Amino acid sequence: MIEPRHEASGRKLRFEIFRYNPVDPSSHPHMDTFELGETPYMTLFIALHRIREEQDPSLQFDFSCRSAVCGSCGLLINGRPGLACHTRTADLPDTIRLHPLPVFKLIGDLSVDTGSWFRQMAQRVESWIHEKVPFDPKAQEARMDDDLARAIYEGERCIECGCCVASCGVANVRPQFVGPAGMNRIARFMMDPRDERTDSEWFDVVSSDEGVFGCVGLMACHDICPKGLPLLEVYAYLRRKMLAKVMTPLAREAEPSKRQSSKM
Amino acid sequence: MFRAMNTTTALIERSSPDGHQEARRQLLYELVSGASGLALVGFMWGHMFLVSSILTGARGFDWVEETLQDYYLAQPTVFVVIVIFLVHAAMASRKIPAQLRERRRMLALARQLRNVTGAIPGLAPGDPRLHPHVESLLWIWQVRSGMLILVLGSFHIVLLSLDALTPLFGARTGIEAASTFARVQGGLWPVYAVLLLCVEFHAAVGLYRLAVKWGAGSHLSRTTLWRLALVLFWTFLGLGVVALAVLAGVLPPPLTFLVGS
Repeated sequence: MIEPRHEASGRKLRFEIFRYNPVDPSSHPHMDTFELGETPYMTLFIALHRIREEQDPSLQFDFSCRSAVCGSCGLLINGRPGLACHTRTADLPDTIRLHPLPVFKLIGDLSVDTGSWFRQMAQRVESWIHEKVPFDPKAQEARMDDDLARAIYEGERCIECGCCVASCGVANVRPQFVGPAGMNRIARFMMDPRDERTDSEWFDVVSSDEGVFGCVGLMACHDICPKGLPLLEVYAYLRRKMLAKVMTPLAREAEPSKRQSSKM
Repeated sequence: MFRAMNTTTALIERSSPDGHQEARRQLLYELVSGASGLALVGFMWGHMFLVSSILTGARGFDWVEETLQDYYLAQPTVFVVIVIFLVHAAMASRKIPAQLRERRRMLALARQLRNVTGAIPGLAPGDPRLHPHVESLLWIWQVRSGMLILVLGSFHIVLLSLDALTPLFGARTGIEAASTFARVQGGLWPVYAVLLLCVEFHAAVGLYRLAVKWGAGSHLSRTTLWRLALVLFWTFLGLGVVALAVLAGVLPPPLTFLVGS
């Protein structure tokens, strides 16, 4: 646990919030300022709701689960991507600047459309198990090594909040880059022994500057991820996997299936 | 399958018969950029020890240089290093965004992340993710120092190649203590001071990034790697500053007793 940096002792918090409504022709991007008394255990989620209820009902922001599971409330907090529900005001200074996440399409104020981005990513990555034999519902499910199952689950913990994408320098300037969340998804399926896409098939597309070699190694995605996903390890895993692919003698490329467990 | 973006350019590129070849090329670029950097770091460490022979005085320095020259170690090294230097510049710079607007965006992002402390609940104390994120900004400085090295390093390489291969400067063919002293004291010391700082910074951060990019999740933690990079940075910077101070005439060579007077 982290100790809160400020006691919640009736501080007056100053919120500077990005405002813009793209569907309103009279709206222009600007910052609005709100003041709010801090209460114990206040999160940005609570603060934003109070501002909307008490001061400006037109303020737009996303939320759903308020417990860091749905990934809706990602935003820039003093310039650093994070989840509103997961961030206590006690950890922040008196002035809190909020912006929507960059890279994604703006819906209004702090609300962005992460859904479309993640949908196109999932479609590019073909984010589902690829089997080459027809599914047999009566057959017993293939057993999986415990460590491997845990490693796959680690990648599955992604809540698609978009904080890693917003913090990625490359994703900020090159829309073709599949991004940290995309790489995480690829690694998850590459590790999965049930997915029968071969290393060769993966290699032709992951070993590209839209894929793993587009990454410059800024490490921001790993540092920012509110769920603490080991994204650096994902990238290193993919790099090593790509290298191993070329090192593997040609004879083994002909293998029809890659049913062998690989660990991160 | 992972689908590449379907821009027309991308489609035209992929209409070439072998996508596999392109993937191999991308891997090769990445490997060459890392390996050439690694080779240059190795060379710079050796280089630093050789230059440090100036700490034993002009005699020690000249003896080391003449030995390298006599055994034909210095002359081919000049050519090999020039090639690796240029290859590294070409390969490592391929990820620098071309447009100024894109660079400004990356800089703004890096500065933003540098200024804010992380507050991710549930992480163990001491986790690097609880600190402001510095690696993005370090990369910007890696690019900047790289640019400076390309300019100042090229100047240095040309000058020293002429020293090593021609009798143009000094009394004979080869690098000499006397002409080096004259050069540094004659006004080139700021150039060497900046080059030294850039090289040590670029090498330390580059090694750290390379280790994390390929090895994250294996034996050494990122914190350990970072500390290692800092130790290397300060060690070689310290050694370099002392050697430069001797060459600039600010400090008498402290190890002259090793070669006798």
